[in-house]
Amino acid sequence: MKLKRGLTFVIMSLLAVVMLYPFVFMINTSFKSKEQFLGAAGHSIASWQKILTVMPVGRQLLNSTIVCVGAITIILAVSSLAGFALAKLTFRFSPVFFLGIVGAMLIPLQSIIIPAYINASHWHLLTGYWGAIFLYAALGTPFATFLMTSYFRGLPDDLIEASIVDGLSYPSVFRRIALPLAIPALVTIVVLQFIQIWDDLLVGLLFLQDPNYRTITVGLGALAAGRTTDIPVLMAGSLISAIPAIVVYLIFQKQLISGLTAGIGK
Amino acid sequence: MVINITQIKNKSSLYRQRQKVGLLFSLPALVLVAAFLGLPIYQAMYYSMTKWDGIVAEWLGPSTYLNEFKNPIFWRVIENNALLLMAVPIAILLPMGIAYMLNDKVVGWKFFRTVYFLPTAISWVVIGMVSLRFFAQEGLLNDLLKSFGLGFIRTDLLSSERGALVAVGVTFIWSMVGTNSIIFLTGMATLDISLYEAARMDGASSFRIFRSITLPQLKRFIQFSFIITVISAFTALFSLIFVMTGGGPGFGTTTLEFFVYQSAFSRGNFGTGAMLGVILFVIMAFLGSAQLLLVRNKD
Repeated sequence: MKLKRGLTFVIMSLLAVVMLYPFVFMINTSFKSKEQFLGAAGHSIASWQKILTVMPVGRQLLNSTIVCVGAITIILAVSSLAGFALAKLTFRFSPVFFLGIVGAMLIPLQSIIIPAYINASHWHLLTGYWGAIFLYAALGTPFATFLMTSYFRGLPDDLIEASIVDGLSYPSVFRRIALPLAIPALVTIVVLQFIQIWDDLLVGLLFLQDPNYRTITVGLGALAAGRTTDIPVLMAGSLISAIPAIVVYLIFQKQLISGLTAGIGK
Repeated sequence: MVINITQIKNKSSLYRQRQKVGLLFSLPALVLVAAFLGLPIYQAMYYSMTKWDGIVAEWLGPSTYLNEFKNPIFWRVIENNALLLMAVPIAILLPMGIAYMLNDKVVGWKFFRTVYFLPTAISWVVIGMVSLRFFAQEGLLNDLLKSFGLGFIRTDLLSSERGALVAVGVTFIWSMVGTNSIIFLTGMATLDISLYEAARMDGASSFRIFRSITLPQLKRFIQFSFIITVISAFTALFSLIFVMTGGGPGFGTTTLEFFVYQSAFSRGNFGTGAMLGVILFVIMAFLGSAQLLLVRNKD
């Protein structure tokens, strides 16, 4: 028994090395100059200085933040409202609405990206952040609504009926009672969406064409696709882009896990 | 009597309020989804039967599909997708083993869980860049082979069509480890412990216990991770391929989702791109409904 546990520990440690290797490689490589990467000894911060000149890092981090905040705000607003309505206010079209919103989960991004791109250009949404913000919001809403609907279904009906008898209207029940109780679900949505939008390339590549509006991931993708051969600089850029998502992950691991496993069903 | 009437009145006014508020509350989500996902998928179906450069569309009819099915490059792309699916069993079984070990809760298991799950937070762009260095001629894979005395093997996976696909597949497996381990770990937390005690009293072997007790109880978790993994293989690898291989060499790593992008935005064939997107949608909708049905049957 002890031997088996010891063996398990050894295997898990080896696996941890495999999973952590890319991060060690990124950190180690980023602290080398181009020459040091090609074989010369020692470390330096040359590549960290260089990444700041080849990529407007500060601006791109700001852009990523703006796009994330914008899209997530919209997702939270529409999905919590819809989730409450679909779970607690059985209205005439609620099954159709639920299917229409949540069913859109089945649509892959690549299937709609071309018409969505053409529409956005007709609607003059490609010049600023709005095209990307709306598309990210639309992509996140189906799953978020699914999550909010299941969460609100778990609230006892008595709670809502009692408040209505006390003279509250449905909108104030939502705002004063249901929404505060749903904070854990809202946090899960924020974490899931933050990582998804922060890490996305395709939407940003097409919908944020002005280099001044590029997110950090798109900036990095463009730099890599530009066949930059300066690997240490790319690794420094990779680390900068990855760190915010890693920090969010480390803090909100639990919420992320509950979001990822929410679709399994009972 | 009077009380009853006011009650009925209240009830029907409440009913009306529910109708109104319900509609009003769910409308923003529906409009957003309809405008940015529903309308485009409808347009994609229309434009898939046209020759379209993004501005002018010329109607051709369903023959566009028939023509595409005669295109050898299309089948090459489908073949790439099919070959990538061969990574799916590994991307499920490996994490299942990992979850099994994590579930033993040996010293430091929480740390290991955090480490294994970390790729979930990392963008495919970053993963692709590191993977590119790993498989490169002067990369770690060759260094490793050399240090094990296998220096004569010297791999150069990324320069051959099949090799590059293997490299993409291995990277895909690596990054699915976290998500699938978490799914199975969640599953193992729900296992009924009393069954194990009973089985052990009856003298069942560990393998027998795993096969007859653990596996059946994990069934819906296996289904879920299967669907997630297949969907990822079809729709999550765009950025990885964009950074790692650009779809090449040749069409060696061009998958359906990457082909959509290439057709439209590199070659300007928006109609063909829309059609490929519709084909992808049909495949995914089929898989997704299968998952929904499986979940529903459980209730």
